[in-house]
Amino acid sequence: MATHTRRVVITGMGSVTPLGLSVEETWKNLVAGKSGIQPIFIFDAETFPTTFAAQVRDFPLAPYVRDPGPYEKAGRNVRFTMAAARMALEDAGIFGTAFDPVRFGIYLGSGEGVLDFMTLATGIAQGTGPDGRVSTREFAKFGFARYDALREIEQEPNMTVNHLAAEYGFQGPAVSCLTACAASTQSIGEATHMIRSGRVDMFLAGGTHSMIHPLGVTGFNLLTALSTDHKDEPWRASRPFDRNRGGFVLGEGSTIMVLEELDHARARGARIWAEVTGFGISSDAYRMTDIHPEGRGPVAAMRMALADAGASTTDIDYISAHGTGTTENDKVETLSVKIVFGDRAYKIPMSSVKSQLGHLIAAAGATELMTCVMAIRDQIVPPTMNLENPDPECDLDYVPNAARPCRVEACLSNSFGFGGQNDSLVVRRFVP
Amino acid sequence: MTYSAPREYTGGAKGELLRQRTLPTSIARDVPPPVYSPGAKYEKARPGKPAVAHSDATVDAQEPFAVDRRIAITGMGVLSPAGSGAAALAAAIREGRSAIGPITRFDASLYPSRMAGEVRDFDPAAGIRKDQSRYVKKTAKVMAIDIQMAVAAANQAILDTGLALGDPAKDEPVLPTIDHTRFGTVFGSCFVPTEFDDLAGPIQASLEDGQFTLAGWGARGIPQMFPLWLLKYLPNMHACHTGILWDAQGPSNSVTCSDASGLVSLDECVRIISRGTADLMLAGAAESRVNPVIIMRHCLLGRLATDNDHPATCCRPFDLDRTGQVDADGAAVLVCEACDVAAARGAKVYAEVLGTGLGSTTAGVNACDADGRSTAVAVRSAMAMAGVRPEELGAVYAHGTGLAMQDASEAAGLVAALGPAAMSIPTTSSKGVTGVMGAACGLAELAAAILLCKDRLVPPIANCRRPDPAMGLALVVGRPAKLRSPTILVTTSAIGGQTAAAVVKVNV
Repeated sequence: MATHTRRVVITGMGSVTPLGLSVEETWKNLVAGKSGIQPIFIFDAETFPTTFAAQVRDFPLAPYVRDPGPYEKAGRNVRFTMAAARMALEDAGIFGTAFDPVRFGIYLGSGEGVLDFMTLATGIAQGTGPDGRVSTREFAKFGFARYDALREIEQEPNMTVNHLAAEYGFQGPAVSCLTACAASTQSIGEATHMIRSGRVDMFLAGGTHSMIHPLGVTGFNLLTALSTDHKDEPWRASRPFDRNRGGFVLGEGSTIMVLEELDHARARGARIWAEVTGFGISSDAYRMTDIHPEGRGPVAAMRMALADAGASTTDIDYISAHGTGTTENDKVETLSVKIVFGDRAYKIPMSSVKSQLGHLIAAAGATELMTCVMAIRDQIVPPTMNLENPDPECDLDYVPNAARPCRVEACLSNSFGFGGQNDSLVVRRFVP
Repeated sequence: MTYSAPREYTGGAKGELLRQRTLPTSIARDVPPPVYSPGAKYEKARPGKPAVAHSDATVDAQEPFAVDRRIAITGMGVLSPAGSGAAALAAAIREGRSAIGPITRFDASLYPSRMAGEVRDFDPAAGIRKDQSRYVKKTAKVMAIDIQMAVAAANQAILDTGLALGDPAKDEPVLPTIDHTRFGTVFGSCFVPTEFDDLAGPIQASLEDGQFTLAGWGARGIPQMFPLWLLKYLPNMHACHTGILWDAQGPSNSVTCSDASGLVSLDECVRIISRGTADLMLAGAAESRVNPVIIMRHCLLGRLATDNDHPATCCRPFDLDRTGQVDADGAAVLVCEACDVAAARGAKVYAEVLGTGLGSTTAGVNACDADGRSTAVAVRSAMAMAGVRPEELGAVYAHGTGLAMQDASEAAGLVAALGPAAMSIPTTSSKGVTGVMGAACGLAELAAAILLCKDRLVPPIANCRRPDPAMGLALVVGRPAKLRSPTILVTTSAIGGQTAAAVVKVNV
């Protein structure tokens, strides 16, 4: 058991993902093995190396905000979060109760807003001289006439946090972090520590991101990180731990949690989903593009999370893998789990919901932690879909292709960011 | 929702215990630096910490929270428009010498605001080991200027700590006397707009009948982009490259809180060391706002001063006649070290971080709250953690950007948090000298302030000739004011967003 004086529990969750516009819908579809991956409809990606992604469908903003006006120019990242946060706050039963806004913080792993690439590219094309260089004088003629300043600032990564604070009036610590794929695991971990320290009682923590835009897909295609196979059957493209895995599939969405100090939650009679007991954090400090081959960083992060939780390796019943479906990540993550858990590694179910949801980048960690909480509630772990060809280097129990009922009391959730940030969280059933 | 009313400052009494701290000034220099092994546990520096009482749903916001270890600043690195190093920035601020000039980085002739504080001619490989220098030279082409500045400032800061460098020929770690797994980085940064020239060729290749099309981009544009393009601009690459160069295997974060980022990263470093996760943290931030896209955005938002004929005097913080901000480049890194560890190695200690605090604007995404509550929350929180009473402050280094609504909001917040003492604590801002260095603001100014405290003076606000009486602050105008105590407050705020404050005790 954790030994922290101030314990941190999850009292609310909200989620917008390619598999549903709520936590329950997303979870139901995950357990059913459904895929959120389909051809890209957000923009014309016909000629791109990757033509599919896991996109959020049929999403209305209006039901989740007081007035849609301030969000007219906001990106998908902001919109998803406004909905997820609203659902999380309602789930936590905050509305109508008294709380101190100064002791309510926001910590998000928040992606940048969507860049209007068509406008930028048109401006650059007009400003490019015969020497191939861009004249900012020419660009300025175009830009000052065409750009809408309020739409432009929506690209800044802290806008999601700004919108949340404005919508709900939370005045406490507000932080926006962007450590690539680890961002929302990091946000939940740091927010947990901030509650423990006594500075605040409640946090909205989690993440949001949509990189399903022309430059996002371009960037990951150039890094050869995205799967380009299975164009005709895109639901088969995300294949974590499979021998024929070929990269990840981009997803988008937002998951927001209400984290709360235990006594605070009890005092107001809140329903408690689970307890966040451990957080571990490390850096690879190895290479810009490669993971440390011996999993130095992931091992350190997982060990720190277990130690912080006061948990031993035998306490963990399920591991929510980072499991991106890239050759290197899955191999090194498997190796790292074996280093940390020894022989027990083979007995712990470990799956990657990225096989169905795609990679939500900054929102991935929070979304995966949400699935851990649901696994604890329902005593069932979600599957790794598309795991058809075993890889000798990935030989753990990945819960292939079908959800599995089993005992789940405590889970470890891993996120490893591009650039070497490694974060792990331990979440367990709340025991008073 | 029911909100409680803003509170008066009541932090002093409860902070009593915490105020009994002293700086480790007299340190035995002949103690050999200890060699740490991975996973080693350190004794908590301050036994008998006050238990955090927590009983009901609305606990007093000024309650000091547990600080388990004290934090010293033992190294500083700064790149500012005033030049390289914290001393260069301090000198420019001391002399009121503005580093703002006409934009030279790009052709701004059609921009309404054509002035900026530019950082030029810095070497991200200066002073470091040969193998490190090779890495920097090899990867510089995939580092946007923000990232190059971050690396340069980090190198400066670490070299400034006096930590011994290992010998690469003997395969020694870069910093053999520290535990690299307990050494981390937190950088404040922003999403960096792509340089036009990186996109120009591929966009030309994408044109169909002179029009840009996504179909053309997918088919002919993408193949012309360089493979690592995305990594050149990601906001977590500051920490990534710095971490690789200095083998920082501990915690790493990248906070994107606009102007507040620098002090937000300091806050996080303090918390990470306090809770025992690391011993040595780089609190850094870097941003280049002198960018055609960013300046266009700020021009369109009406945030920038446009008195293009007088760059040196156009930014006038807290002046009755203030007309806006000036964008600038900047990077700053402060080395934060647990006091116990710093003392054990006989480190030079610039200052101790007594408290940090964060808050948030609720007025809207492009607005500042009129009553300054966001600044007040951050300041109260930092003061409470520090256990410092307002009248004990020697100076306030305010964000003071020269933008009318932002200065008014900040001043109101300072008055709300500091009470009557706000009328007597010398308050200054250095934006008239540098402009707004984006994420780097709070940290760069803190570094300069630490050096300026050694003068026992508080420099005047450059270009503030007619201080706005509505500010209600003891603005330093014309000539320096006397520094009343070595404990200073630094504040920053992002328009529509985050606020951060730090209270440090300078080793004068």
